[in-house]
Amino acid sequence: MYFLIITFGFLLAMRGARPAPLQKPGDGLERILRNAADFFLTTSLILVLWALATAVEKIQPIALEYEVLGFGIAAYLFSRFQKKTDAFFFSVFASVFMIHSRQIDLFHGLSLVWAVSAGIAIFQACFLGLRYKLLFSDTPVSMRGWPSLCLLAGCISLVLWSLESLVF
Amino acid sequence: MKLPESLFSRLFLAYLPFMVYPYGFFKAGVAALWIVVFLWITVAFFWFTRRIFPDRSLKCAFFLWLIVWAQAVWTLTKLPPYWIVSVFFLAPVSFLEDTVKPGHVRVFSRQVPKYFFERALAGIGFAGFVMLLALVRGVGEKHLGIHAFEQPAGMLLVIAAVAFLWKNQPYQGRR
Repeated sequence: MYFLIITFGFLLAMRGARPAPLQKPGDGLERILRNAADFFLTTSLILVLWALATAVEKIQPIALEYEVLGFGIAAYLFSRFQKKTDAFFFSVFASVFMIHSRQIDLFHGLSLVWAVSAGIAIFQACFLGLRYKLLFSDTPVSMRGWPSLCLLAGCISLVLWSLESLVF
Repeated sequence: MKLPESLFSRLFLAYLPFMVYPYGFFKAGVAALWIVVFLWITVAFFWFTRRIFPDRSLKCAFFLWLIVWAQAVWTLTKLPPYWIVSVFFLAPVSFLEDTVKPGHVRVFSRQVPKYFFERALAGIGFAGFVMLLALVRGVGEKHLGIHAFEQPAGMLLVIAAVAFLWKNQPYQGRR
């Protein structure tokens, strides 16, 4: 789950939504929290729907056979309905698939979704805060852009790695 | 000539799913090659069928294409479907935007080989990028015993170094 948080937290931070101006970190923080809530609700809804589909005897074999297709279509439709970005769709799809592949019960699955959503929100909030601080530092031109972004993401990942064993 | 930074951002974002895959050098290489082959198939398929789809449904068709193939590959090989993220970032997705209209390009014009050559290069570059990082990961993890390389944290620091070198590559004028 830690791998999922870092990978898709970073993807959502870079391509997840129309970026709020870095000069107003409050707006960015609000968007991160709203996106995390949307992510939690969308992923949970798909997991609940899948649990319902597997509970009905007639649909069960189809649901088990075409799980990736079902998750993908559901994630795409829900993302489009909420007018979310493509990165949001991919993140929901990957999270649903990974949590489902652990073969755990629904309530354990939902608690994992909550942990992943919170983890992604923490990653994005830290990333936003560090990028904001970077605005006021004399970063050399050669380090601006992807080098500094990857460095920041790497440092946040190191911190979250130390917390991983406490949560998962 | 300098390699453009937009190419690096596409390669890097396409590499992200490989942080989730727990693969060594060989398996990562095979997965990367599959992604490249599939990218070429996707580009060729949508190049020739672009006009069949109405503008509004093109994006849906593209994502449905990805999801159906993710299901097929999962059924056949048990490769988790995260690889479609790589295909999405490598594909020229600008054609999915409503504002972009298809141009009148003849099949036997000069633009066609140029278009496919650029996609072929992006695919080869991506496969090389993945294999390089898989090699660094393997060496760091197994030979040097640095546990950070098992995690995304270590790979992000390596990518930061690669990004620095990419950004500061010397300019070489045409001879």
